[in-house]
Amino acid sequence: MRCARLWLVGLGVLAVVVAPPPARAGDPAPASPGKQSPALSAEKLAERIDALIEAKWREKDIRPSPLADDGEFLRRLSLDVGGRIPAVMDARQFFGDKSPEKRRKAVDKLLDSPLYSTHFAAVWRSLMVPDNNNPFLQGNGPQLEAWLKNRLRENTHYDKMVREVLTAPVVLDRQAMAGRTSVEPTPLPFYQAQEMKPENLAAATSRLFLGVKLECAQCHNHPFAKWKRDQFWEYAAFFAGIQTPPGQAGFVTATNDAADKREIKISGTDKVVQARFLDRGEPKWQDKVSTRQTLADWVTSVDNPYFARAAANRLWAHFFGLGLVEPVDEESEDNRPSHPELLDELARQFVLHDFDMKYLIRAITYSKAYQRSSVAESADVPDPRLFSRMSIKGLTAEQLYDSIVEATRYKEPGQIANARGFVTPGGARAEFVSRFSNHSDKRTEFQTSILQALALMNGQFVSDATSTDIAKSETLAGIIDAPWMKTPEKVEALYLAALSRKPRAAELERLVKYVDRGGPSGDKDKALADVFWVLLNSSEFILNH
Amino acid sequence: MARTPSLSRRDWLRLASAGVIGTSMSGWLDVLAADAAKHPQRKRSCILLWMNGGPSQTDTFDLKPGHANAGEFKPITTNVPGLQISEHLPKIAKFGDRMAIVRSMSTKEGDHSRATFLMRTGYLPQGPIQYPSIGAHVAHELGSDDAALPNAVAIAPYTVFAPGGYGPGFLGPKYAPLIVGDTSNQFQAGGQVDYDQSLKVKDLAPPKEVSDAHADARIDLLKDMEKDFVARHPDVSPQSHLTAYDRAIRLMRTDAAKAFNVEDEKGEVRDRYGRNLFGQGCLLARRLVERGVPFVEVTLGGLNGGGLGWDTHADNFNQVKRLSEVLDPAWAALMTDLKERGLLDTTLIVWMGEFGRTPKLEGNGRNHFPNAWTTVLAGGGIKGGQAYGKTSADGMSVEENAVSVPTFIATVCAALGIDSTKQNQSNVGRPIRIADVGAKPIKEVLA
Repeated sequence: MRCARLWLVGLGVLAVVVAPPPARAGDPAPASPGKQSPALSAEKLAERIDALIEAKWREKDIRPSPLADDGEFLRRLSLDVGGRIPAVMDARQFFGDKSPEKRRKAVDKLLDSPLYSTHFAAVWRSLMVPDNNNPFLQGNGPQLEAWLKNRLRENTHYDKMVREVLTAPVVLDRQAMAGRTSVEPTPLPFYQAQEMKPENLAAATSRLFLGVKLECAQCHNHPFAKWKRDQFWEYAAFFAGIQTPPGQAGFVTATNDAADKREIKISGTDKVVQARFLDRGEPKWQDKVSTRQTLADWVTSVDNPYFARAAANRLWAHFFGLGLVEPVDEESEDNRPSHPELLDELARQFVLHDFDMKYLIRAITYSKAYQRSSVAESADVPDPRLFSRMSIKGLTAEQLYDSIVEATRYKEPGQIANARGFVTPGGARAEFVSRFSNHSDKRTEFQTSILQALALMNGQFVSDATSTDIAKSETLAGIIDAPWMKTPEKVEALYLAALSRKPRAAELERLVKYVDRGGPSGDKDKALADVFWVLLNSSEFILNH
Repeated sequence: MARTPSLSRRDWLRLASAGVIGTSMSGWLDVLAADAAKHPQRKRSCILLWMNGGPSQTDTFDLKPGHANAGEFKPITTNVPGLQISEHLPKIAKFGDRMAIVRSMSTKEGDHSRATFLMRTGYLPQGPIQYPSIGAHVAHELGSDDAALPNAVAIAPYTVFAPGGYGPGFLGPKYAPLIVGDTSNQFQAGGQVDYDQSLKVKDLAPPKEVSDAHADARIDLLKDMEKDFVARHPDVSPQSHLTAYDRAIRLMRTDAAKAFNVEDEKGEVRDRYGRNLFGQGCLLARRLVERGVPFVEVTLGGLNGGGLGWDTHADNFNQVKRLSEVLDPAWAALMTDLKERGLLDTTLIVWMGEFGRTPKLEGNGRNHFPNAWTTVLAGGGIKGGQAYGKTSADGMSVEENAVSVPTFIATVCAALGIDSTKQNQSNVGRPIRIADVGAKPIKEVLA
């Protein structure tokens, strides 16, 4: 008997020693995404998404909005994946397609097109180096975007991209660059935006890649979450090797990168701390593996509880306007996911598919949840966190510009064909983008300003783009001149170009009457220009719904 | 977590009609402005004179005569005995009785970018939090949703180093200042700026090819479209779109935009302010305040727009003298005109830069110096005729009553009748006060 009891006690001790430390309150769910469930195809994951979303509706007795119609869906998808409204040709083709899987085919087509990499390069760039109005960074933003675009074009997986960011060389080798006309773009601008400072890099990388907002803990123990000041600096220590000359803003380059440095002095004190991971894990330092490489290994590890989750949440937020955890970079005891099981699953599947972003995007956009209409049945708008109705999102300045150009087939003066993707300082796109930069993080509460309204109503760009002069823009001029089109077809063509849908009966009737009498001056061409102007100035155009 | 709700649904028909009829508004706004000036409940306004680059306190408002650090300028006495400022500010010296010179500003930020952000928002840039600038707060607290003019106007701002310090932050685009005379693209102070044109609101008129009749017809058609869309999408964004267009149209259609026609002023008046961007900008500021705009700011950077004029690392005395010669007549004209119109008691004027400059010369220039520097509060809500706080004899440190940025912001708010402890919902879900926790207004400088 005694032996058996001893044996059981022994087992108990062993169990205690072997078990992982218990999750503390406020930790994100399971300690590691692990490999518990099998890998799901994008279609199957989409079904799972819907099952979990719908379960919550049943719980709260919510009736969801119907699915979006073809026009609504295609426009939304084109903006979210490709960064601009669909070309008229693509819209017509899509509407004419009678196959049941046409929406999934549209997703696949967009993901394979160069629009995806261009748009998502802009999306990630604006997350990594936000303020586009700073001319010092304006010079460098395009470089970061170029690097992102290169990687996205090859569909480099997310973990590899983040690893490259974390271990990027920060000292410019001027000798190697001498005499070369072009240099391979790198993620260096990210470091420049943080002024090469370890504390800034710590805060930025933690927020972006781990979904953990550490900032407050820089000076004192975090008032809300569990982070202590020492923990902040232990994490910042991973970047301590980067040295810049004193007094320099650090915009250009670091002077030195001590690859093995792994301790840092807490600013304003004499205390020195050693580099430690956020979950207080001790790094296993290895010979010839630099400090930042060690960090990258931990951040992008399949077992890192924050990494996949933060990425999945950000991608979700991109498509739905708000994350499963919202605000996206502050998961905590007070800020839990609206659908915990769903976020776990998305993170898990992301890991199982080797952090392939296209996989996750496919699964999200295949889902019925993504296809919900944004039309509200009544003035009583349901809690957006139930995702029973698609939230309205604002457009970025780039999306707006590119959409106007697409709708009007505007001929940008003096632009090089491939410069479309970037903000070339001084160009029409650059000027427009700086006017329309929206500094608000909350995409579901996009607000138009008076200056923006004036620019859209009267500005040179929109005026040129809606010109009847075919040398300036083709859509309107083409429609006006087409002798085979009667007024209803012309109005319909304008709708398809601008709003990616056909006009409703009442709209058509009203506008045909207006055009046929030539507006206030009896001029049919001018009346058509009026209609086009109205479409381009409408909420329906300027918003992603 | 709702934002301040958009105004009540405007009756588009009424507005469009008002636009079409138009002429009934002329003359009305002047009468209204005059009435408002006399009204006891008239809301206050704030004019911020922003000195870009960090003006030298030792050569403007906190001279150290007799000391090794004195420099080349001599002090003169204002109209308040014992209160002395630079000899190159003789006109504004006549308003000593309306000024509280805060000589004990003390911060830790010596970098243009961070210091500008700090002074203009009251906070250091911190990750994703979009702190609103002080102008946006004033627009939010004192502005009116019904006004034809925007509630905040920035004249010739140089936003390059801290664009976030000029924006509405998490208060939203409704409180973004209307910008005229944007000189951010000009880094050097050279190059004449056509200030008449640059002080106008961009894109105020439809393109020439569009006749008035067509412009009106377009608005009518747009109204119909919006009604449909908003009915099916009762969210914040479509409503704000309507609101922005509504205000833009009012700006276009009513006489409100005439406020920006500085050329309507008599030549003699324009001469008094000084025929340069800053001078004419101050004149425009007066016109806007007369029409009830709660917040206007005018930047003095280079000599005629652009640049870090006050950033006198080299050639300090020549530069500061030239800048003072632009600042002095413009500010004095502003004080005179406001007083004449009975508006000085309800208009707070704030004079400040992002930091001061080293009292000890380095070569022939002075470098950044946030340790001990000067800002000036004048006009409405302020007990003038005094200097608040004291720096040491050599100017290197504050001896009495050090003033932090939050304290300064709280004081500005108090002078305007704004509660600086009020919290607003930020974009990260955390409520943030107008002035940071613990900030208390300086009682001694408040009227």
